[in-house]
Amino acid sequence: MTDDAATFNKAGFGPTGSDHTGFDHSVALEACARGDRQALQRLYVQEGARLLGVVLRIVGDRGVAEDIIHDAFVNIWNKAHTFDARRGSGKTWIFSVARHQALNHVRTRHREVTVDDDTAERLEAERSQEAATDVQDHFDWLGHGELDRCLGQLSPERRNCLFHAYVDGFSHQEIATRLDRPLGTVKAWIKRSLAALHECLS
Amino acid sequence: MNIPSNTPPSIDPNELNELAGEYVLGTLDAEQREIVERQLSEDSQLQDAIQTWEARLQPYAVMAEPAAPSTSLWQRIERTLDNEETSAIASPRSRQIRAPKEGFWNSLWRNLTLWRGMSFASVAVAIGLAATLAVGPTSAPSPRYMVVLMTPQHTQAGWVIQASSSQQISLIPMGTFEVPPGKALEFWTKADDWSGPVSLGLVQPGQTQRLSLKDLPPLEDNQLFELTLEDASGSPLNRPTGPIQFIGRAVEL
Repeated sequence: MTDDAATFNKAGFGPTGSDHTGFDHSVALEACARGDRQALQRLYVQEGARLLGVVLRIVGDRGVAEDIIHDAFVNIWNKAHTFDARRGSGKTWIFSVARHQALNHVRTRHREVTVDDDTAERLEAERSQEAATDVQDHFDWLGHGELDRCLGQLSPERRNCLFHAYVDGFSHQEIATRLDRPLGTVKAWIKRSLAALHECLS
Repeated sequence: MNIPSNTPPSIDPNELNELAGEYVLGTLDAEQREIVERQLSEDSQLQDAIQTWEARLQPYAVMAEPAAPSTSLWQRIERTLDNEETSAIASPRSRQIRAPKEGFWNSLWRNLTLWRGMSFASVAVAIGLAATLAVGPTSAPSPRYMVVLMTPQHTQAGWVIQASSSQQISLIPMGTFEVPPGKALEFWTKADDWSGPVSLGLVQPGQTQRLSLKDLPPLEDNQLFELTLEDASGSPLNRPTGPIQFIGRAVEL
């Protein structure tokens, strides 16, 4: 990790900031499925701020982000009975409900292929702050999960593609604009990076 | 290869993994996302592939800085859940044998109080109109609905939808609306469990239009209606592409 990368993303915080609280999301979801409203509130207290952070980063508007969190918690409540702890962790399930709602929102609202003017301007401004050869990490990605080892085998630019998509909710086109690379290149990089990660893990 | 019977035999494991990865990453466009989400309910292999990527990537979501929700957000969530529970009790699945309902005014008021930030004038106009509609000549036994379509900021009511039956609706303007040259207003609806909105066609501003929903499932509580600004010939895709001008949800009366 370079200093540049570290200063670029002050937002990142280490693994101690994530989930070593002993809170059991799956147990809370199972209680929700039985109609225990307090279990939903515990989930909200536990994850509300992190979920709002994830959604806000994607949609970029606080009001919209709160509407999505509202809908996400209503959904979590209504769909809790479909959660199956044998298939995955409760925490992952909750985050995916909120995140996909945010992604559906931005993809539906910005259906056009081209980047709108505001986004283009913002991306341009961010890009101009960087060196011409943009091969630094944009994200403080190391130390969060088991994917670290495999992510480390990718070039910084390819990692940037993945995290601009996953964390910022950028479309292929937005990533291409942000990195100043052709759209086709970005698409191919993402495709190959996913294949490489999958192979590295299996 | 050992492929579960509910999966199309043509799907290549690498393609499946890539599709699931791009879905979780978020790089699929709206149309592709909708296809994946529709497929998901009946394709356990796709479910597993997506679940695997979710689990791998989720720890990295903490790179987005947390943001404290406003204090009223939890209350809003609770209110919605309370309201859902009330309507679930008041209208069991079979609408033919409904329990006696609270009075029209109480029900309307309960729902109106949920419309945040609505101006007093709009509320007054909406109640006035709804009352006229509700005491109309029809006494159909099917549930009746009202929808007030507000501007997205909830500042002004633009249209009211009256449903004389669960498949016949009238869209009634409450004012005028200037459609920019080369554009048109398109009318859409989506019930909670539909995968996407369905077009009800283009709408002339300032004119009442009667529509038949006979190709659609019966109107239901909380069904979403919206008017979006599209090109003159309507949305080129089978879903809204332009900005929402008016939006509202069906309230059972």
